[in-house]
Parts: sequence; C-alpha cells; structure tokens
Amino acid sequence: MRAPLPNPALPVGRVLLRVLLVGALLLAGVLGARSAGAQATPSAGAAARETIAPKPISDLTVPYPEGASGDALVVLTLTVARDGSVREAVANSVNEPFSSRAIAVALTWHFEPATRGGVAVPVKIRFEVEFHQPEAPAPEVVEPEAAEPAAAVRTPAAAPKVTPKAVEIRVRGVKVEPSRTVSLSRAEVRQIPGTFGDPFRALEIMPGVTPIISGLPFFFVRGAPPGDVGYFLDGVRVPLLFHVGVGPSVIHPALIDRVDLYPGGYPARFGRFSGGIVSGETVPPAADLHGEYNVRLFDAGALIEAPFDEHRGTVLLAGRYSYTAALLSLLSSTTELDYWDYQARISYQLTPKDTASVFAFGSYDYLGERTSTQTLTLFGTEFHRVDARYDHSLGSDGTLRLAVTAGLDRSRLPDDRFVRDRLLGTRSELSLRLSPDLLLRVGSDVELDAYDVQLNLGQLGPAAQSAASLFPTRSDLATGTRADIVISLGERLQLIPGVRVDYYTSNGQSAVGVDPRFSTRLEMTRQLRFLTAFGIAHQAPAFVVPLPGFQPGGLRGGLQTAVQQSAGFEYDFGDATTATATAFHNGFFNMSDPLGTTQTCPVSFANDSLAGDIGERLPSQRSGSCGTRFQAGVAGPDRSGGGGLGADGGGGNRASALAVRTNGASYGLEFFLKRRLTSRIGGFISYTLSRSVRTIGNQQFVATFDRTHVANAAIAYNLGRNWRAGTRVTFYTGLPKTPDPSDPSSTRLPPFFRADLRLEKRWQLTPRAYLSFIAEWMNATLSKEAVSTTCNVQGCQTQTIGPVTIPSLGIEGGF
Amino acid sequence: MSRFFAVRFSIRCAVMSVALAVQACGGNKPAPPKACDAACQDDIALRGIREMMKLAYNFTVQGKPVGAQDATMPCLPTGSVRVSGQASSNSKQGTTTVDLSYDFKACAYTAAIDATPEQNYSLALTGTVAEQGTLAVQPSTNTVIQLQSDDLTVSGTVYQPTVDYDAADCALAATQDGNSVSGTLCGRTVSFVF
Repeated sequence: MRAPLPNPALPVGRVLLRVLLVGALLLAGVLGARSAGAQATPSAGAAARETIAPKPISDLTVPYPEGASGDALVVLTLTVARDGSVREAVANSVNEPFSSRAIAVALTWHFEPATRGGVAVPVKIRFEVEFHQPEAPAPEVVEPEAAEPAAAVRTPAAAPKVTPKAVEIRVRGVKVEPSRTVSLSRAEVRQIPGTFGDPFRALEIMPGVTPIISGLPFFFVRGAPPGDVGYFLDGVRVPLLFHVGVGPSVIHPALIDRVDLYPGGYPARFGRFSGGIVSGETVPPAADLHGEYNVRLFDAGALIEAPFDEHRGTVLLAGRYSYTAALLSLLSSTTELDYWDYQARISYQLTPKDTASVFAFGSYDYLGERTSTQTLTLFGTEFHRVDARYDHSLGSDGTLRLAVTAGLDRSRLPDDRFVRDRLLGTRSELSLRLSPDLLLRVGSDVELDAYDVQLNLGQLGPAAQSAASLFPTRSDLATGTRADIVISLGERLQLIPGVRVDYYTSNGQSAVGVDPRFSTRLEMTRQLRFLTAFGIAHQAPAFVVPLPGFQPGGLRGGLQTAVQQSAGFEYDFGDATTATATAFHNGFFNMSDPLGTTQTCPVSFANDSLAGDIGERLPSQRSGSCGTRFQAGVAGPDRSGGGGLGADGGGGNRASALAVRTNGASYGLEFFLKRRLTSRIGGFISYTLSRSVRTIGNQQFVATFDRTHVANAAIAYNLGRNWRAGTRVTFYTGLPKTPDPSDPSSTRLPPFFRADLRLEKRWQLTPRAYLSFIAEWMNATLSKEAVSTTCNVQGCQTQTIGPVTIPSLGIEGGF
Repeated sequence: MSRFFAVRFSIRCAVMSVALAVQACGGNKPAPPKACDAACQDDIALRGIREMMKLAYNFTVQGKPVGAQDATMPCLPTGSVRVSGQASSNSKQGTTTVDLSYDFKACAYTAAIDATPEQNYSLALTGTVAEQGTLAVQPSTNTVIQLQSDDLTVSGTVYQPTVDYDAADCALAATQDGNSVSGTLCGRTVSFVF
C-alpha cells in the first residue's frame, strides 16, 4: 500500500525509518474545496491552475524514541503553509511515544510549498512514519528511504493506481473559518479524561459551552438553549447525539475525524438552528484494511473498513452494543436499559472524478420496567438515517455533491404513547473556485418530515393536553438555499460574506427566515490572527432538548431569531500550542427556552403558611405568577401521590413554559489555550466568563442555567514505556438561586468541581496493530451538584444530584 | 400522564438511570409474586376508589373558577361520575378546600399496568362518596380530607395477577393525611399509601 521513496541519505545505524508521503489531505476546516488535481484531466483553465504538491527540502529523519520498544507506524497529517513550513502535524491515531516523536520532528521539516497556478498555497498532506526497533542499542537516528515524497502522493483509497504524477490534494483555499472556535481531532480527544475517547463528548470542554448538569451532554452554547443547538454529521442532521442521555455518543468514535463547534455567526451552509452548530466529520475512506475494537464494562464496539475492486471502493461497518440490560438483570429485577448503534458506509469511485457513496447510521435506546408479565416502556428513542451521495470533482476548480437522505425518528413514552417522524430530504452543495482569491460556495436543501403522534390526549389532564397539543400529527416542509464567497485580499485578509434563506411550513403555517452572515480573518503576524463573525440565524420553535421526533408543530409563536457576533484573537505559541481569546454577544428574540426561563421568585413566608418547593416554579407570561402554585382564582389540582391522573402542577407550569416565548441576551469572554494533547506533555485550559439573561414582558432576570465562570483544564502526560496518564478538572459557578430569607446575601447555589482521571497502557503488537488497556473515571471526586433549593419556615435547603460518576475499564485495539 | 411528563422533563431521571447502570446498585433476583389475601384486596380497592376520585376531580374541578362546582364526566370504558359541591383555593399556599360529592354510576377504570402488583386494578364504582377537606400541592402543605359513603358498590379485579373483587352496598369511612389513606370499607380496616 505504500510506495517506496528514494533514499536520500542513509541513516545512522540499523534503525529503519520509512517516511512515505502517502496521500493527501484534508483541509481541516472548511473548505470543502477538493481538487483531484493530477488524476483529473485538466481543462485549459484548470491546467493554468494545476496543483503541484509540496516537495521536502529538509532532512526527513526521525529518531527512534528513547525507551520505546517494538515497531510502529504513525500516520501524520501535515499542514504545509505557503512558506513551506509545517504549520501543524497531527497523528491520526495515538501510538505513544512514537506519535509524539514523529509530530515533534515533522514540525521542523520544510518543503517547497505546494502551488496552484504558480501561486503558493497551503495544503495538507498525509505521511506515514514507520519505526523499526533497533537491533543494536547504539544507533538512534533513523532516516527515510524516500527522496521524492511527492511522487508517492496518492488518494488514500486509490493506492494501487498511484503514479508519480497522481497527486490528489485538497488545497487550503479557506483557512479555519473565523466562526469556528474549537476543533478537536479524535486523536486528541482520546487523551481527555472523562470523554471516554468520544469526540462528541469533548464538547463540554469547549469555551462558550455550559452544561445543564455535569456529565449530562446537553449544553447551553453562548446562552442558547440545548434545543437550539444543531448536531450534524457529514452535513446530515443528527436528532440525538448520546445514548440514554448521559451515555456514549451514537457514532463510533473511530468513525469521527474531528468535531467542530460553531457557536455563532456560522457559515451559510448551516441553518435552521439559532443557538450553535456542532459538526462532526467522518474519516475519509481509507486504502488499507483496518479496524478498531473496544470492550468496556458496559458496552462493546468495533469498526472495520476494507477496500474492494482494486481499491476503487471501500466498505465500512461499525457498531456498538450495550450489555447493561444483561448486567442490570443480575442486579435489579425491574429495570431494563438497552442501547445500540450502527454505522455503515460504502463508497465507490465511478471515475477519477466521480464517487458514489451511501452512509447509513442509527441508534436505539430503551429504558423499561419489568413486571411479572411484561416490560413497561418508560422511555425509548431511536433514529435511522440513510444518506446517498454523489460527489463530482471539478478538478482544482471545486466539488459538487448531490445527496438524498431518508430517515426515521421515534420516541416512545409510557402507556404506548409515541412520536414518530419519517423524513426525506435532498441537498446539493457546490464549491467553485472562481479565481485563486475567490471561492464560491452555494447549496440548497429540502426536507419533508411526516410526524405521526400518538399521545392519547383523552387520557391527559388539561395542562398535559395543552402541552401535548404542541405536537400534532402533521407534515412539515423546510427548504433553504444559501451562498457565501470566500474573498482573499492579499495574503493576510479574508472576508466571507454570505446569506441563506429558509422557508418553513408546518400544519398550515409558514414562515421565511433570511440569515445574513459575515466573517473575517486577518493575519496580523505569522502567529497572530484577528477573527470576527457575525450572523443572524432563524429556527422553528424547539423542544427542551433534542429528542427524535419531538418537534413542536404549527410554527406556533413564529420563528426564533438570534443575532450573533464575536471578535477575537488567535495566537500560536510555537509549534504545538495555540491560544484564543474571544468576546461575544448574542441577542435572542422570540426564543423558546423552557429551561432557561425558570425564573427564581422571591420568597415571602406568610405567618400562617408554609412555603413550598420554589425550585419547582416556572414563570408564565404573567408577571404575577411568582409565588403562586397554580393560577389564582381557580381550584387547584389533586396531586396526591405526586401527580398523575390528570393532575396539573409542575406539568401544568411546564406546559405553559413550553409555549412561552422570551427575549434574551448573552455576552462574555472565552479563552482557550491548548497544547496538543498528543504531545509528550499536552493539555488545555478552557475558560468562559459570561452572563445570560431572559426577558418576559417587562421582567428581566438571569437565565436559569446561567453560570458566570466555567473552567476546564486537562493535562496528559507520556510516562514512558507506552504508559500515558491524564487528569482533567472542571469548575463552574452554581446556578442562580431563589432569594433565601434566611440568607439574603446568597444568590447562587454552591459551585461545582469535579476531577476525571485516565490511565492507558499500550502494547504495540505489530507496526500497525496495537492493544491498549484503559482505565478512566469520570467524577473521581464523587462530587455532588446543587440543582435547586427547597424552602420552608426554617429556611432553604440545597437539593443536590449525584454523584454522577462513571468508572470505566476497558481494552481497545486496532490494526 | 404525570409519569409521561416526569420522564420527559426529568433530567434527574435520566441521570439516575445511567448512574444505576454504572454503579451496580440494585436488588436480587425477582421473587415469585406473593398471594393477595382479602385484606390486600380491600386495600387495593380503597386505592382504586381514591384514585378514581382523584381522576374525576382533576378532569372536572381542577382549573375551574372557585365556588360552586357541578360537572359530569364519562368513565372509560363505561359509566359516568358527577362531581358537585363547593371548592375554594389559596394559590400561594397551593391549597384547595373542597366539599364535594362524587356520584358514581357504574364508573369503570383500569389503572395503568404497574410493576407493583398492589397498584393494579380494574374496577367499577356505583354509589356516592363525599369528600371534605384540603387538597394541597405537596410538599408545601399537607392534604387532609375525609371520605364518606353509606352505600358504595365496588366490583372488578385487583392485583397482578388479577383477583376478582366484589363488595356490594358497603360503607366507606376513610381519611387521607398526606399521602396515607386509611379507614374502613365494608367494616374492614383498609389503608394504602400513594
């Protein structure tokens, strides 16, 4: 699979290093601009913009790591800048200490820069660094066999067809988009304790992200509620990202190349979400047979990918199965918890320019209660997606993608209630380079959702009926078109104006959203960049948190609107350390945010009464609702035993909270300092200082889940001999607290702190095969979190939850 | 319904369920179901009576303006119940004071299947039950009510697996204090806790 390279200068000793330039790249980020340069038959215009791969001009030698043993293979993705320096080196998988050594050395390499049309352009290229254990202890310097890496550049999935001219690269036509605050690769995420190697779970460490509750992966992003945050995988919306609320993500980690967070002012290709975008990208098809597997205390998973038809195609299968149901049956006779997920992808290169692929993925969760005769559903969710794609390369001019997506979402509730959504969508995406300095990106999409809702309204109380009526059986249609253009003004300034227009219909109602976007990037020095992002985003009314099928119908109350803006600096400290500091302000209008509008009401104890659980109170549109447990002047509910049998109460208030619309704002500062976690010593510090407020009528109050300070810090350290340890600490301010007559100065619940631990031992079995033992513990400090207060005449007591702690032991392997 | 919303809204529920999954706390192998003797059957019948009153109240009186009440609702699958009398409330305290009469006419109701055998029943009521006292949105204040009937017929099944139950022309005298209900039915001592 690897083309040998000429040997420029032979190494010292018998330790062998083969450095192979094997394939090209990905642009981390943005672009989408793909070119199949040498594989394509260039047109006259394209020839003028022919892309020439970078050529090494420095010595490509990598010393064998001290203290290491065995052979190993490290695949690096290098970002070669316009000046030929290696701006970034990322190991596609972690194999310490080899990965760190290869990265450290690769960052010193220099190349003749890649060019397109004679103009130097930044590119990403893929290298393989093969380590062989020295037969004698003396020599520690190894050398490449290669002399002309460019000759071996190839498409990862088309190795046998490689010729010295067969260069396929993705040119870095756009740099990291200004609105993207953090991007984490899977290799880095594996080193973050508490994430269980799951790239999507790493969201919680990103600046601007505030968790509802520690460990629960539903987030406020720059003050926007969880229901307004959109999750995408390869451009396909994912309705539920995590199993059973707090479990692993529904996508096998090995399938995820990276996860990007766009907290505001995001690119025009993202729409219909007003709170933020989390976008995952899958790994590209690989040329070689490879796989990963893992077995943990509570689940097991595997991924395998293999080429076929002489590498014109690849097929990938992945999945995970939880055996918690079996475990729980040994421990508890009445609880059933089950989940599984799957992913499958088949990709086939029809011609050098045309590729067809089908990507299917889905997830199933079930929580039930066993009786002597049957299992009662407490909660169940599932979703399935099939995305068929056709990709056409326009050579160095760009790419075209046409795709059709079909899907099924379903959530099940007790007493045979369910919500189901059958969806069908199409989308087109064109990325077209108009000139070396202009990149046009346009696209459109249509999605039809047929909702089938069975909530047995006749058996519900008035308030519950009111809430359930928000989810009628109906068909929704949403369609949008968008365009933006990346304008490079010289070497340092980049402007990205764009706009998208979306049309929504639901249950006979319709609405239009027009969303302008504008972002800039100014390279002030080689290390320092100034980034700005502005955008307006619209969204149909949303449910409390993302759940399959739970989409309020009828556009009741109109579209939500957010005006997002941010500005900040990004600075590179040396090769592996980057810092960002960003100021942001978001304005929210007509927002549906049942969680964030839980207003804290002042307490006054009447002489002849007892105060209630004020933590349960929610506001309505009426300012006079504070302090009442149901509407004044009516007969209250009979909630004996805690509710049910048609009783209103918390549910009644919550029903109105679902329908209430608020305005609001959030503003703050975000700081992120990261030293590559795959380095020998890596880590990050993430800090957010923010304030989030809501306004209902004339009342303005601090949002329920406002946290002034949110900080995360982690360190990962290579202990040697393939041992790697890490720890992470999380701290955030407590939630706003109801004024307590017995402690008037206290306005917040106690803050929360937790520490996570991770320890890994890896055995390199062959150059490609490895086996790891991993011990990980989320919330090793067994910290409890304060979530509300309960008051009586003696005063107020803090109610806590937890400790929510997840210890994990497992093995991981790959080849 | 409350369970429906409780599950939907309760993050705590989700957290605890997974905490349960990973923390290995639990019970033993399921034991074979116990037999339900006559006292057990009466207790379930009292639960059925009280829950049917609660259901009728919430569908006919809850949310209505305070003052005189008079409303009739159909029971599923058969029968009806008329609720009449007086109700007043204090919304800040979360209390509703009631003096109501429930007139059941072959009103049938089947409880949602529950994992606890003692919470399963399918009953039909005929007769009149008086309810006096205070219903409170707990835990702020306590519910304290008196239930009284001179001639109540209860028939159907109770327990899981089901046991036939039939009590004709019975007197009922019971008190609910908080979530505990106790008293006599057909002269026999009965009780249950919500």
